[in-house]
Amino acid sequence: MEIKDWQRSSLLSLEELTAEEIECILCQAFKFKEELSNPRRQTDHLKGKRVVNLFLEPSTRTRIAFEIAAKSLSADVISISGKSSSLTKGETLKDTALNIQALGADLIVVRHSSPGSPLFLSRTIDVPIINAGDGAHEHPSQGLLDIFTLRENIGNLMGRKITILGDILFSRVARSNLWGLKKLGAEVTLAGPSTLVPRQFEEMGARVSHDLKESLADADAVMLLRIQHERQSSSHFPSLSEYTKMFGLNEARSKWLKPNALILHPGPINRGVEIDSELADSNRAVILDQVKNGIAVRMAILYLCAQNSGGLIKND
Amino acid sequence: MTDYCLKGARVIDPSQELDEIRDLTVAKGKITFVPPDKSVESIDCREKIIMPGLVDLRGHLQDPESLASASMAAASGGYTTILIMPNGGAPTDNPGAVHLMREKASKNSQIEILQCGCLTKGAKGEALAPLGSLKEAGVVAVSDCPTSPQNTEIFARGLEYASMFELPVIEFPRDRAISSRGVAHDGPVALKMGIGGYPRMAEELFVQRAITVCKSLGTSIHLTSVSSVGSVELIREAKEKGICITADSTPHHLALTDESLLGYDANSKTMPPLREDLDRKAILEGMTDGTIDCVSSAHEPCQKHEKEVEFDLAPAGVIGYETALSVVLGELRKKIKDPFPLIARLMSFNPSRILGMKHSIAEGKVANLFVFDPSKNWTYDVNLGKSAAKNSPYQGIEMNGSVLTTFSNGEKVFTYN
Repeated sequence: MEIKDWQRSSLLSLEELTAEEIECILCQAFKFKEELSNPRRQTDHLKGKRVVNLFLEPSTRTRIAFEIAAKSLSADVISISGKSSSLTKGETLKDTALNIQALGADLIVVRHSSPGSPLFLSRTIDVPIINAGDGAHEHPSQGLLDIFTLRENIGNLMGRKITILGDILFSRVARSNLWGLKKLGAEVTLAGPSTLVPRQFEEMGARVSHDLKESLADADAVMLLRIQHERQSSSHFPSLSEYTKMFGLNEARSKWLKPNALILHPGPINRGVEIDSELADSNRAVILDQVKNGIAVRMAILYLCAQNSGGLIKND
Repeated sequence: MTDYCLKGARVIDPSQELDEIRDLTVAKGKITFVPPDKSVESIDCREKIIMPGLVDLRGHLQDPESLASASMAAASGGYTTILIMPNGGAPTDNPGAVHLMREKASKNSQIEILQCGCLTKGAKGEALAPLGSLKEAGVVAVSDCPTSPQNTEIFARGLEYASMFELPVIEFPRDRAISSRGVAHDGPVALKMGIGGYPRMAEELFVQRAITVCKSLGTSIHLTSVSSVGSVELIREAKEKGICITADSTPHHLALTDESLLGYDANSKTMPPLREDLDRKAILEGMTDGTIDCVSSAHEPCQKHEKEVEFDLAPAGVIGYETALSVVLGELRKKIKDPFPLIARLMSFNPSRILGMKHSIAEGKVANLFVFDPSKNWTYDVNLGKSAAKNSPYQGIEMNGSVLTTFSNGEKVFTYN
């Protein structure tokens, strides 16, 4: 698929993308990553475009990465966070969105705690929507940057074994990765405690494991997820220390991994909970590469989606 | 009062095992099979069906619906009696609230509006409501629907106490603790969508509780809006053992599954949630084999703006008076060649019996009936409906058969046009 064949103006999920579309984003992201290494660092693909970052749930990495990505494309960036928006005054999401549209936004990047809210926005207003994480549903840009990082390190993902370990039930990152990785031919194992990794994930094409050792044994990469204790009730597992004891990845358990297996983590890391501090800093961890790649991948998403929202400045 | 002669319809009335083609006259509001001797207005009803008016066991009256719009919507759907659950606005947990509503209903409704009182004060599940006084004031049943007393002591005493007044208890089986995060059926669809699950066991545990309590105390109970395959099995077994239990399910649990939620459309969000196809099939099976006695509309109006929010924040509930009969017909037709006698049982005879009513299409009885054209399909448009609310999952869907005329309390209250 050529860049010019890209049809979407919104990116709501990885479930809806084809393998060709994912490849198209990755391909464009590789180009941007190369461009970013040159000292000029800025292109004007989105010059004159107004990108609104509507972040109604706390975010550091994703929000900053989208801001840098949009600025690197010369867009005007306006960031609205949960506390500064009118939603705290009782305005509905629908009205907030209609107002942002009326104020002339060309693209909205939205983070929201309610699953499906980016889809709701895309049905409500006529502005392209980029999903930057909606509840436990999806986090497509994170999934893409994880896949991008895996690609850089282990090449083609066809037949590769990727284990995602931790709080899968509440994780949008796990869902986006599962869809994306499956489409590119990888085999995905979801691992963690039974209360956080229900068997029904098998119906989405994953392998489910509640046995840490077994789930790590033949993985080409393991992706650790933070335990989102703020979303869980105390009935999901007894305590963080119990989690660390049963499922935390430490030096000793890392021996269960293949010698060259990679460790990924979407952040924020809870050192000493899901991952040992030394392991997080070791050279098999590519956690900071993921963050860096997040900029190029988000530039590619913004660039491709803006291409179909009209008036894109092309500089071939 | 105009007299009408309804000619050539198939008249179905399970209360007297009547199912034959007859001419029927409504004279001075009463039914007669004696041919009229003067020239009364004659309506050609060949190929049409006449049934006793439908009786609903679960409807909620809340904004934007008024008594007038609810009764119009219900009459157009073939209903002549609707039971209003106690949760709309002020809970019906005191005689004053019952009197107020009765007075309003007498002024604004063309059909029979019956009231369901609270089982517990404020439907909070903490202390019993004054059931005797409520019955004296006119309630015909009690319920905490769409919730249930979580404390089994309160629940059991409520059943025991209500039985003294022969007051039917309508239980909405729901264990709140295990369904508190649930906005959809706890299954692969909810998992994929990243939304909280409402598991089957939240319902089944309370179905089992109702069965056990009824068996122990020798009381009876009606379970409303049953949605899961396990509930159907439990009720079937309990009935086989002779426990006094009846149950209803809804048109949407018969016709739809949680797949309807995949677009995050809050108009498909219901309480209890839509479940999987095996549940849907079990409900259908239960209705055909007598395990599930009734269909209740679960008519639950919501304001448009209430539904136009994030999916997990939107209230549950769909309207159903206008579509219930057509939806049920559409589903039963797939399984049974002639579903009308069963429909008359599920939607009129059985619910009326549970409420202790004795409507029938018999000589000298007040006319509570409707004429139905089984071959006249139509496309449902919420904007053209009689209900003041628009929260239906059937927008733009073709509906099976049409209600042509409804007579309630002897009066013609609805005519198709």
